[in-house]
Amino acid sequence: MTLATTTAIAAVVLGGLIGPAVLVMIAVVAPALLAGVLGRLVRTSLFLALPIAISAVLVNVFFFPGGQTVLLRLGPIVATAEGLAFALEILARIMAISGAVTLFYLTTRPADLVIDLERRGVSPRIAFVANASVQTVPAMVERAAQITDAQRARGLDTQGSLWRRVRGIVPIVGPVILGSIAEVEERTMALEARGFTRPGRRTLLWAPADSAIEAAVRWGLVAALVALIVLRATGVLR
Amino acid sequence: MVVRWIAALIAFAVVTGVGIIGFGNFSTGIDENVFYDIEGANSFALVLAIASVVAFVVYAGVEYAQTRALSSITRQFDTRTIVLMPVAIAVNIVLGAAVASALKIPIYLDSIGTILVGVLAGPIAGALTGFLTNLLWTYVIPPPFNSGVAAAFAIVAVVIGVLAGFIGRAGWLRPRPNQPMRKLVAWALVTVALIVGMSYLSYLGYIAIIGPAGIQVANANPAFVILGYLALALVAGTVLGLLYLLFARRDLTATYVVIGGLLTGIVAALISAPIAANVFGGVTGSGTDFLVAAFRQAGLDVGNATLGQGLISDPIDKVTTFFVVYLIIIALPLRTKARFPQGERLVERETDTPADDVGWRGAAG
Amino acid sequence: MTLALAGVGYRYAGAAEPALLDINLELRAGEVVGLAGASESGKTTLCLVAAGLAPRAIGGMLRGRISIDGEDVDAWPMHRLSERVAMGFQSPTTQLSQVTGTVFEEVAFGPMNLGVPRDEIVERTREALDTLGITELSERDPRRLSGGQQQLLAIAGLLAMRPAHLVLDEPTAQLDPEGTRLVTDALAALATAGASILVAEQKTDVLAAIASRAVVLDAGRIALAGPTQEVLRDPRLAELGVTPPAAVRMRLAALAAGIDERLIGEALAGA
Repeated sequence: MTLATTTAIAAVVLGGLIGPAVLVMIAVVAPALLAGVLGRLVRTSLFLALPIAISAVLVNVFFFPGGQTVLLRLGPIVATAEGLAFALEILARIMAISGAVTLFYLTTRPADLVIDLERRGVSPRIAFVANASVQTVPAMVERAAQITDAQRARGLDTQGSLWRRVRGIVPIVGPVILGSIAEVEERTMALEARGFTRPGRRTLLWAPADSAIEAAVRWGLVAALVALIVLRATGVLR
Repeated sequence: MVVRWIAALIAFAVVTGVGIIGFGNFSTGIDENVFYDIEGANSFALVLAIASVVAFVVYAGVEYAQTRALSSITRQFDTRTIVLMPVAIAVNIVLGAAVASALKIPIYLDSIGTILVGVLAGPIAGALTGFLTNLLWTYVIPPPFNSGVAAAFAIVAVVIGVLAGFIGRAGWLRPRPNQPMRKLVAWALVTVALIVGMSYLSYLGYIAIIGPAGIQVANANPAFVILGYLALALVAGTVLGLLYLLFARRDLTATYVVIGGLLTGIVAALISAPIAANVFGGVTGSGTDFLVAAFRQAGLDVGNATLGQGLISDPIDKVTTFFVVYLIIIALPLRTKARFPQGERLVERETDTPADDVGWRGAAG
Repeated sequence: MTLALAGVGYRYAGAAEPALLDINLELRAGEVVGLAGASESGKTTLCLVAAGLAPRAIGGMLRGRISIDGEDVDAWPMHRLSERVAMGFQSPTTQLSQVTGTVFEEVAFGPMNLGVPRDEIVERTREALDTLGITELSERDPRRLSGGQQQLLAIAGLLAMRPAHLVLDEPTAQLDPEGTRLVTDALAALATAGASILVAEQKTDVLAAIASRAVVLDAGRIALAGPTQEVLRDPRLAELGVTPPAAVRMRLAALAAGIDERLIGEALAGA
């Protein structure tokens, strides 16, 4: 996780075009090769970055204020070279961030991460919230799908115009949210009946292994990031 | 104990100081047409927010170092709140992802859960809900619901949660039905005045930014126009709903909903604009990007464009969100909401049932 | 271990009328007590009170004395009580902790919370899975099990806490006939092995199969109490809103049709 965050922050700090590109090579592609997930990484991070990338390019190429060198003219809309340059910069940065995040996601199981954090001292209740959230998101989507089917059987229109679709959201969102909240009472009782209220740490069945090397690498990364920020702030690195 | 607070205060001061120096000189000159210093103001808000979070972390860190536990904070989280939070986080993520990717309208709808928890359980619970939502959204939730940008805005979510907590604590969302007509009309006028007032101020700032040439953006981007209509439809829906609350149910709280939403929206916009501008160049892959584009085409730089977009999107989004949260609270049965930490502040005031016999006792623990 | 309720009454938060009044009940070691009654008669409330969840988890006001082996448990915090009395609920899905990926971890959830040492947790979990006969489900995802299997999982999770007493609120209420059979068989096995259980059920057939004693509630008070066979044959059951078990109904129908009593007895004995 440290890798992902530091890479992301570094990408922002570096600015420019070359910096993030190099960063992507070192910090994202190389480990991905090592972990054997390069193909998936590329596909997933592209998918992730696509909407942002499209927006970024469109907005900046066409609407960059103060752009002088005209590349293309589409009626009142003008594409400028400065805009393109800026867009590429942003693009590189976005790719770095999305690549780093995807790498993290592909190589780490959420349960592992949370348990590791809990072992180091995060409260078991917060760990519970994190874990339960990860499970609840797909569960809620499933429930929404079920309710959608049920409502469709009762005549809900989900294919019509945009207005119809927006209106159609309410009879789905309502029961999903209210149903989930209604369950809170029973879940609370069930958890308390299983000793959830006991203060302090709980026994962990297992925890992911950690080695001295990994710890050293982590601290090294953080130090490098701090150095990077300092260099950038003092103007040494453009 | 005192050590923790002192440490937190020192951290707060340090971070604020660093932030101010880092962002450079704040005053970019007072604009005569607007009564505040725009660019300076929004960066300052961000710095303050970061400073608060750092201070909180320092406080927690010192407590941990002292007692190897964080009990003064986690004690505020009872089981019920803990069970509600994953639901709230899931609602945030699912709705937020759906709106960002499928609907392309310039609002977010990713704070319903945060505000709900804040109102029901308190500021810190709300803050944590917002924080975890954004972190998990980026780092843990797999695609297609994943969002690459959410983690950077975690601070905004934290502040929203805190505000919602205080709003709930102040009893703003307590239903107040069946008010006499005159009171209703007076409050309705106040509400309308507020909305008009805020719109006017934003308009003033808007004009000041893009210069006396006026609004040129409307012609530039046809998508913008459609988006505008959609946003208008949502706003209209919310306004209609609020009016219904005000007049059909004679419920005064509708006004509080609007005020709370506006307040939260403006603060959120102030804090999120610098993040959007500096980290993402104003582009976050949601429907709001077109608004930013429109502002930029009018000649604004990234910072002011994102602020402009924020000041339009956020208040609308938050008023709608508060409205939805209020609806949820009304719909919840009494026994579900009453046991939450701030539950009694959400219930209509009524005379208590007199305690009759002797010998009845509540929970000891 | 004996769990005793003496003169117990309970009123939900914000309610004008008490949900339970004058409850005197003793749950002794090694016996299965069945709890019957119409809906809203107070079965769930009684379970919650016996397990200590009312008032601790849900508020409300309590009256009377609840004691374990003579010691008053009024001041006991919930987690301490949960080691002695463990409660299961009707809905199979809301009892899942939502933070575990396998059945094994799910069963271990309770002892983990209680801070039991790791090796002991593994031992208890294996034992509980074995007792309920679901060891082969150990690596499965809890969310993908059938309703009946999830209830068995829930009960295993409770057993892993090594409580002296199990309180089960209508475990088969939301299950199909297959699931009901699964759970009833498991409970019968537990009963034969000497577990102490208080089980509330609308389905009196289940109670007839596993309970040695039965209690019938009516509007929050105890209306009938005694050995299961006697209670379930009591003619007042119908007006109390309880459906007698199939065997009893058949017997009554046969009597009404004029068939000789001895013949009925033989037929039912052979059935």
